[in-house]
Amino acid sequence: MSKYPPGKYTPAVEVGLDRMREMAKGNFDLKWMQSNPAGWGHKVTPGPAGLRLRDVDTGYYGNVPEHGSTHGSMAPRGCEVPPETKALPMYTMNEMSEVWAENAGLLYDEAVVRQWNSVTDVPWDKLEKLPDDIERAVCQMCTGLTEVEFVAGDMPAKWLHKINHDFHEVKLFLASQIFDEARHLDVFRKRALANGGGLLMASPGQEELLAAILEAPDYTTASALMHIFGEGFVLTLFRQGEFLAPTEVEKAIFRLCMQDEARHVAYGVKHLKYFLERHPNRAEEVHKILDIGEQAIFTLTLEPQTSEPRAILAGGGLANIDVGAQRMAFIYAKQVKEYLRRLEIAGLNREPRLTIPKEIPYEDLAA
Amino acid sequence: MTETTLFPSKQWFQALARLMDKDESAYRDLGPLECTMVVKVDTDAATHLYEVVFEGFKVQSVRELKSLADAKPEHFVIEATLSIWREMIENIRANAGPDLTHTLNYLTFPDDPMRVSGPDQLEVDAFYRYNQSLQRFFNAAAEVPTAFAS
Repeated sequence: MSKYPPGKYTPAVEVGLDRMREMAKGNFDLKWMQSNPAGWGHKVTPGPAGLRLRDVDTGYYGNVPEHGSTHGSMAPRGCEVPPETKALPMYTMNEMSEVWAENAGLLYDEAVVRQWNSVTDVPWDKLEKLPDDIERAVCQMCTGLTEVEFVAGDMPAKWLHKINHDFHEVKLFLASQIFDEARHLDVFRKRALANGGGLLMASPGQEELLAAILEAPDYTTASALMHIFGEGFVLTLFRQGEFLAPTEVEKAIFRLCMQDEARHVAYGVKHLKYFLERHPNRAEEVHKILDIGEQAIFTLTLEPQTSEPRAILAGGGLANIDVGAQRMAFIYAKQVKEYLRRLEIAGLNREPRLTIPKEIPYEDLAA
Repeated sequence: MTETTLFPSKQWFQALARLMDKDESAYRDLGPLECTMVVKVDTDAATHLYEVVFEGFKVQSVRELKSLADAKPEHFVIEATLSIWREMIENIRANAGPDLTHTLNYLTFPDDPMRVSGPDQLEVDAFYRYNQSLQRFFNAAAEVPTAFAS
């Protein structure tokens, strides 16, 4: 008696068993071997920096459709999709302009080669016992940054699974960003715990901005708010972190994070540029979300748990917090200047619409 | 007697480029670079400009420029007086790498004593994006006995 009597299994399993019976008799299909003739014979030349996405995504495989394929499947761009392939309803972002940036592939290549880890790439053995006020300032700064980094991973994750597979350059880049952000929150949390201190106070002001990023009505406005605005401001904070670092450990952490953050900003700027070139009438939507972001960041910048630890580090200790606050007053103006310049590249003239001061006249306010 | 290389000079940057070649595996670990850096050195008498083009894990070219207009369109500029460049290089040589207050980021962050600029913000951002590699490039000055122009 056969181990597999007809009717014992579900129809799907029966189909599989039938196919195996044919194969056991030497009857193979092999139609796949002749599929997709237009995509066969692709020539690729690795460059001195290795085999990059842009080295393989050329010719037939370099054609990115303006409207993503309508088959709605997970099939990769450039393969032959059999007509019976089931369409899936989850890929709802099918327009190239919704997600594309001309540098997405380049940034993905860069991201995967520039990976690092918080386990072995930070010279933890160089941590030193720091004065209590300095250690607390470092730990508070790291607490706030850990909080920020959670949302920076959540935002691309929220949209990634909706993006049509034809835009794999963007999907790959966003996947690399999710891991970058995981590494950041890991390394900042680790630093807070690594030197006898711990996590300190969360930031209510921060929550408002972070929520706006996750609640943005569409991907492009979310990206403008996070990649350009939020990450642009954080990039400056990372530069400041390196500047204020009391040991080689923080220096290394901030330098590594700075590089990652600059990639994310570069994607955001080029995506917004691509989008606005095709949808100039939608600039107002971007302005509106930036209105919200600017209000939130202003509150956040001046929140004690954000500004005071940096002032302590800049002053060299709690006793000189006022000196440190004056020393770091230029930071905000730098953040705003770079933000406006990035938007200018994207084709958005934000300066007349700016809802926050371009600089904080610290000395005038103190007078 | 140890042979020295003059800073600033095309030869000095070429010496760093040769050391980058020797150190390729370390640069591979850091990741590829695609950027053009212009180093601007101001002295009382003149301004000196050197363009260093990075591609992959190597320096593709080093040029002395007559003016910034001769630079590749996509570039960023790191500028400082000769005395500041000298202080940074001597610090790197004394410590086999910069101390906490002589890294490129430390010196440029407040726009004083060094400054980073560029034709647009994304070019300036390239300085942040490749910062580890650029720092390593300058750290090689530890191996280049250097004389300074007066």
